[in-house]
Amino acid sequence: MKGGWAWALVLPPLGTTLVLFVGPLVYLFWVSLHTASQSELYGHALTIQNYMAILGDAFYLAIIRRTLAVAAVILGISLLIGYPVAYFVALQPARRRMAILLLLLFPLMVSNVVRAYGWVAILGRRGVVNTTLRDLGLIDVPLELLYTTEAVVVGLMTILLPYMVISIANTLASLDPRYQEAAQALGAGPVRTFVHVTLPLSTPGVASGMLLVFLLTLSAYVTIALLGGPRSKLLVSMVYDSVTAFQWPHAAALAFVLLGLALAATAFLLAALRPRRVQGAGR
Amino acid sequence: MSDGANDVRLERVRKSFGAVTAVDNVSIDIPRGSIFSLLGPSGCGKTTTLRLIAGFEQPDAGDVYIRGACVTSIRPYRRDFSMVFQSYALFPHLTVAENVGFGLRMRRVPRHERAAAVRNALQLVKLDALGDRYPRQLSGGQQQRVALARAIVVKPAVLLLDEPLGALDKLLREEMQVELRSLQQRLGITAVFVTHDQEEALTLSDRVAVMRNGIIEQIGAPREIYERPRSEFVAGFLGASNFIDGLVVANDGAAIVVDTRAGRVAATAADIAPGTTVRIAVRPERVRVQRSTDGGMPARIRDIVYRGPITHLYMDSAAGPMLSYRQNAGAETWRIGEEIRCVWDAESAIVIVPERA
Amino acid sequence: MTDRYTVGGLLRGTATTIAFALIIVPIVIVVVTAFSPNDYFEFPPRGLSMRWFAEFFRLENMRNAFALSLELALLAATLSTVLGTLGALFLARRRGIVAGALQALFLAPLVFPTIILGVALLLLYKTIGMPIFPGLLLAHAIIGLPYGFRTVLASAQSLDPALEEAGESLGAGPLRTLFLVTLPLVWQGVLSGWLFAFIVSFGELNTALFLTGPGLTTLPIEIFSYLQFQGSQLVIAAASTLQIGLIIVMVAAIERIVGIGRIIRGR
Repeated sequence: MKGGWAWALVLPPLGTTLVLFVGPLVYLFWVSLHTASQSELYGHALTIQNYMAILGDAFYLAIIRRTLAVAAVILGISLLIGYPVAYFVALQPARRRMAILLLLLFPLMVSNVVRAYGWVAILGRRGVVNTTLRDLGLIDVPLELLYTTEAVVVGLMTILLPYMVISIANTLASLDPRYQEAAQALGAGPVRTFVHVTLPLSTPGVASGMLLVFLLTLSAYVTIALLGGPRSKLLVSMVYDSVTAFQWPHAAALAFVLLGLALAATAFLLAALRPRRVQGAGR
Repeated sequence: MSDGANDVRLERVRKSFGAVTAVDNVSIDIPRGSIFSLLGPSGCGKTTTLRLIAGFEQPDAGDVYIRGACVTSIRPYRRDFSMVFQSYALFPHLTVAENVGFGLRMRRVPRHERAAAVRNALQLVKLDALGDRYPRQLSGGQQQRVALARAIVVKPAVLLLDEPLGALDKLLREEMQVELRSLQQRLGITAVFVTHDQEEALTLSDRVAVMRNGIIEQIGAPREIYERPRSEFVAGFLGASNFIDGLVVANDGAAIVVDTRAGRVAATAADIAPGTTVRIAVRPERVRVQRSTDGGMPARIRDIVYRGPITHLYMDSAAGPMLSYRQNAGAETWRIGEEIRCVWDAESAIVIVPERA
Repeated sequence: MTDRYTVGGLLRGTATTIAFALIIVPIVIVVVTAFSPNDYFEFPPRGLSMRWFAEFFRLENMRNAFALSLELALLAATLSTVLGTLGALFLARRRGIVAGALQALFLAPLVFPTIILGVALLLLYKTIGMPIFPGLLLAHAIIGLPYGFRTVLASAQSLDPALEEAGESLGAGPLRTLFLVTLPLVWQGVLSGWLFAFIVSFGELNTALFLTGPGLTTLPIEIFSYLQFQGSQLVIAAASTLQIGLIIVMVAAIERIVGIGRIIRGR
């Protein structure tokens, strides 16, 4: 594809992306730097007060802390469960592996609201857990499992787990088994082969899995709204609330604080894990 | 068969994958300090045999011994061997030095000793300056040397090599063949390697096992299996041969006379009775070509291929196509279509009794 | 390498069982509940009935939401696939910093928090007075773009460059090469990209949350509202099951056309 024709190809997607993706975000940032207004979308004066108000307010800082804490817990659990599952999947022969990965892909396509509803049905007052415990005579009064931060963690973790598994499994499956054999030939038993060879070589998959889960946790408004209570609100809930209250500059600032968190965490993760492009010496 | 002198021993080992028997009742003895090669076409079971010695495959029947101890049920990481893989399998996330030191680290060799041993090994393979590089920064030949260094630094009882030179270009390969052999002799390590290149096997080994369909067709020193192949397959695999079919008509105890379509041919073979159908194999380098009609097998030159040091002469005779290698040392010139005679010594004729299909 | 009966294997097997239970069970419960004959939620339900599906189609707002989601997904998927295909064909053979940046840009909506995009687009739409449906359509087109882009890119890159060169050597100009050689060879990437974009749009929440309006809601938003304001849960189960059924049909279609392997590897 040379010359003029090439630009005909790329202009539509590029133009659309710039106008509908980059543009609005730039505009949003621009708005975050303005004062609020009662009559219009935003006021005229430029200010960084919106950001100062958020970052200097103990309330918002607590929300941010809670957001990061919830994200950390979800990351931890999904990694703990997800890595062994990914390993299991990677060991399967090709056809079965593909079938399992497809089985994992399917829940990801089901809308989050439906999956959250599933947990409502499980954890609710008349949900599966409570009914079972009641029928077994273990409790008299239903447990308040729903509308808690714990419910959010459980629900969100199970919703995002497939991303972690698929990410790590793909990397593990593409590892040349000769690396592990070479380690064994050099005297490393199964545990040490895993620690010294398999684990380091799986960092690209781990990193992308963690990144994906983290970013999706940050923007999981619906799950939090359905499974959490008033004290489970995270940063994204604040964004939603201020948008519905038409506090545009404030909402914009909150949005970019969220984005800032995302970027900071991404940088931190990539620096900590240093995932290499594992092309290796193999053929 | 003294166990003490054999570093590797396979005893009636069998391995199947589903319906396919990859290794069928194979027994091998490899004396200490020798280079042993497993040679054969792809699918013959040579790699599986190597992996059985390593322990990456478990035999269905039979036993594997390393230095006299039965290791059949012992996991690879507890066996005394190291391996150079076809794809080298250098750990991409470790430097060259860390790669080479890996086995020592597993054996908990202290850091000082380790560094010295690694330096030593890199010097042996002539890569001393490259310790801090990563595998992906090295050329194929360099990676191969690192793989070698990594395998020998742990001073294994047995060194296994899976088509180690397969990925190198011709010149590099020949260079590495010489280096490999000198290294092995210097260190005195028992080595077993797998190759499909008969030239390589002949160059490097003390003994060669030619395999086909999971069984060993013949084991012997390179010269022996090249000049005295015991089957058509071995004869054909180790180099070109001229095959002439015929019927034994006389046997005087030392030599036989074979009646072929191109006349009578003599061969040195003792115990073949008259009336047996045989196939005579003569190596092309043993076939001389002469214009004189005094003796020899009549043939006509079909094609002449100049090959640098050697010229290939393709001919047709009553007994079938004939091939001769002539050294380009003199002024001999041949012409296509010329009628000549093929001559060879009786000792050069290899007698093979064809297998009953 | 097969999984032996070891401690490690046991660990992995247990983790896998737990993981699958946690992931699949909630969905199964929803689907089973959809067939419940009861008035309120009870698990397991006391029989099977289609009443809630009937109820779903009886309720006007549910019907409209379903229809809107369907229409939206069809149009958005088509738009994003066209855009993604164009971008992929452009970038297929290009390397370098600019190409890398463009590729990152086209893939960005995959990882970017879509809820922030929703906020930004709502602000923009309010400022310029964009009507609801087109606004939603454009939002979903952007969100679906990476899917078409990714699958077609992989297809295009796996093509032997000699094919296009052969076309040109036989006299086909760039446009004809595109239509007669390249596109026919990447159609599987195009199709699977379209199907992914469709599924994503149909179940999308984060931008729909902000960009839908009175009378014009998508099915997921409708379900969300019902759940938030304690509407009839069982109708939601039926609605959810319909969505799940649609996805199953779509995924089966993708699998039939392009095979499992391509789906997993995203191409």
